[in-house]
Amino acid sequence: MTSSPQKNKTNVGRRNFIKTAVVAGAATTLPSEKGAAAQNRTVTETGVSQGLAPPSVEQMSMEASTPEQVSEVQSDQGPAATETESAKYFGSDFMIDVMKSLDLDYVFSNPGSSFLGLHESITVYGGNRKPEFITCMHEESAAAMANGYYKAALKPAAIMCHGTVGLQHAAMNLYNAWCDRVPLIAILGNTVDASDRMGGTTWRHSAQDPAAMVRDFTKWDDQPASLQAFAESMVRGWKIATTPPMEPIVLAVDSTLQETAVEDPESLKIPRYTPSEPPQGERGAVRKTAKLLVDAEEPVIIVDRLARTPEGMRLLVELAELLNVPVIDIASRQNMPTSHYLNQTRQSGRLISRADLVLGMEVTDFWGQVNSVNRAEMTSEPRVKEGTKLVTISVNDLYMKSNYQDFQRYAPVDISISGDAEATLPALIEEVKEAMSRSRRRVLAQKEKTFRKMHADSFEESRQLAARGWNSSPVSTARLSMEIYEQIKAEDWALVSVGASERFISSWPHRLWNFDEHYRYLGIGAGGGVGYGLPAAVGAALANKALGRFSVNIQCDGDFMYANGALWTAAHHRIPLLTVMHNNRAYAQESMLVQGTANRRKRGVERASIGTLIQDPNIDYAKLAEGMGVWSAGPIENPDDLRPALIEAVKVVKSGYPALVDVVTQMR
Amino acid sequence: MNIKYFPGVLLLWILFSAVGVSAQEDANAVERGLKTFMRVGCYECHGTDGKGSEAGTALTPETLPPEAIANFIRFSPGRMPVYPVEVLSDEEIIDIVAYLESVPLSPDADDVDILKALALDKK
Ligand code: HEC
Repeated sequence: MTSSPQKNKTNVGRRNFIKTAVVAGAATTLPSEKGAAAQNRTVTETGVSQGLAPPSVEQMSMEASTPEQVSEVQSDQGPAATETESAKYFGSDFMIDVMKSLDLDYVFSNPGSSFLGLHESITVYGGNRKPEFITCMHEESAAAMANGYYKAALKPAAIMCHGTVGLQHAAMNLYNAWCDRVPLIAILGNTVDASDRMGGTTWRHSAQDPAAMVRDFTKWDDQPASLQAFAESMVRGWKIATTPPMEPIVLAVDSTLQETAVEDPESLKIPRYTPSEPPQGERGAVRKTAKLLVDAEEPVIIVDRLARTPEGMRLLVELAELLNVPVIDIASRQNMPTSHYLNQTRQSGRLISRADLVLGMEVTDFWGQVNSVNRAEMTSEPRVKEGTKLVTISVNDLYMKSNYQDFQRYAPVDISISGDAEATLPALIEEVKEAMSRSRRRVLAQKEKTFRKMHADSFEESRQLAARGWNSSPVSTARLSMEIYEQIKAEDWALVSVGASERFISSWPHRLWNFDEHYRYLGIGAGGGVGYGLPAAVGAALANKALGRFSVNIQCDGDFMYANGALWTAAHHRIPLLTVMHNNRAYAQESMLVQGTANRRKRGVERASIGTLIQDPNIDYAKLAEGMGVWSAGPIENPDDLRPALIEAVKVVKSGYPALVDVVTQMR
Repeated sequence: MNIKYFPGVLLLWILFSAVGVSAQEDANAVERGLKTFMRVGCYECHGTDGKGSEAGTALTPETLPPEAIANFIRFSPGRMPVYPVEVLSDEEIIDIVAYLESVPLSPDADDVDILKALALDKK
């Protein structure tokens, strides 16, 4: 790999190796444990090397490569390291120390020759702990896993892939993360110096500007030219990614830099990471909004990604209760507990059409909430009355890119507050308290009874509807959802994924399950890119494993077939996850849309289902799962067979393993 | 609504119900109705036995008479895709109704253990 002599760094010798190895231990000191004071350190000789702990037998057997693999890589990437070289502190070792300083838990990756140095440093030098290498079978899965991981752990993870072919694979789920405001760190292997590229593949796996491909839907990127620059860019990137609006960032890491033997480790510094405080809305505008809220007769709050953390949910409940204002939760995160009487999501149409004030908090498509569209006729009309005041609080306008249109239609409003809504809520609550007279409080308190009744009626209506088709085969989505809930409700459960939309299962979980915690629901693949559901669920389940939560994934069949290797990752890394197939044997959404198009065009509908059905042959998901070492049952067509299968599956998951139950279901 | 078309369906329906068709013909109509219901994609939104979903209301047990269904699906102003006569004939709608009327009743929520437990949990 090292053909240019000026980069062939000197051997630092055994003494220096021991010194620098110790450094790795120092760098594992977690920012959260030791605080900022432990950061900004020069490489020193103190500390115990956790990073150099030998991997367990299990870890070694998991990650061992065959001799063939090793020799192929050698011919591809240049000579293997010699005995003496193995005593060096390499550039990629330092990079791992930087990652350790950020308390990075996982790197989701499919191995690749442009980041061999980093790979080896994670597993061998770093002891495969913080970060741990999670073996993924597709870069698209890796990106979705990092996405799911963040939403469950509320902590970024990294993916690592080739800057060319790997990133091409990962791109779609980076886009899902972008649309979902999920911070993740994409590390790309690249060989910058053309004279370091050893033959055909290294050339094909190199790019002048690898991040260009995803620049339109990532927040920031860099290709640092030195190790010191890497340290700063990694810490800067982490900070940018986690500052609202949170988004993915990209670091292209030169393979030569990874291999560089560090001559003088003491000269390298890991900069201190200080999280940015999220921006708060301007106080004057917040005060005006509070006054409008207090004075409005029929205000409505709409939320989508308001609750970045559990605190967001607590604050929203406090605000809603102060005013007895109904909340419509679009639920890209779980913002409002479903059992709260002010969660009036099912009444959104009625409430929005009557509202005299609509406050949207972290809603990407606010226009789409206050207007209705007729897709077939391509027309739209306001859902709100004339004169209804519209207010938004969000970080939408603080960061945006032009090319991809996920910013949605421009929404004219009366007050637009740029600021993170969760961070702004304490001020808004204070101002509401300030603006509310005793008598107004008494008047507003009287609304409670009405909303309690509306909430109870809506729940009861859903409960009655759920019984319809209870004994149908294919199994109804209500029965599917409620049989699952029956088996998990006593656990500390989390519905970690429903794929691209909960509407695909008629929203039964949100109609009848009790989502009383922020972590009970993680939203959807926000870009609408299929191939998110299963890997995102696996990433989230990995986080939930450490948090002691029971993860359940309702898995659409179409989505499953994009990235089903994620099941093997779950088996390999012993990730407990209950996956229940919503196997309607179709791309049902498209099936409906093509049907509608054919109806409109009046040229016959016989062939309208070509291309949207996943039948002939039917796919046996239980067999697929079994083949990847995952416990499985199904395909279940008789609804009465569902319960015993789920009982077994829950046992498997509680013992620490993934399980899959394949259920043949109604379309919706 | 298309006035010309409407009495035609009604007439057909009256004919069918008044003449007193045999059990075999009934069974044939049910079978044809199910086939049509699947072929033209009603099942995608309304469920294979018309029990409904978030994408389409329940069509049973309170099944509308054929002329009302025809009226609705030919001129639907809402979320439901319009089915013109070129896609679905009046006779086929009558078969669909026969099928929907043959579908067994669903249990009451309080007769389903899980759903009953939900109501109790709430209290
Ligand atoms: C793409 C989804 C979709 C398909 C396919 C579909 N429907 Fe509908 N249907 C709906 C929706 C949504 C409604 C409720 C419409 C509304 O309220 O405006 C509806 C309503 C109806 C109603 C009125 C029910 C009532 O009680 O008001 C009837 C009858 C009906 N559909 C029959 C059919 C038949 C028969 C077919 C097949 C020929 C069919 N639908 C296909 C979505 C669909």
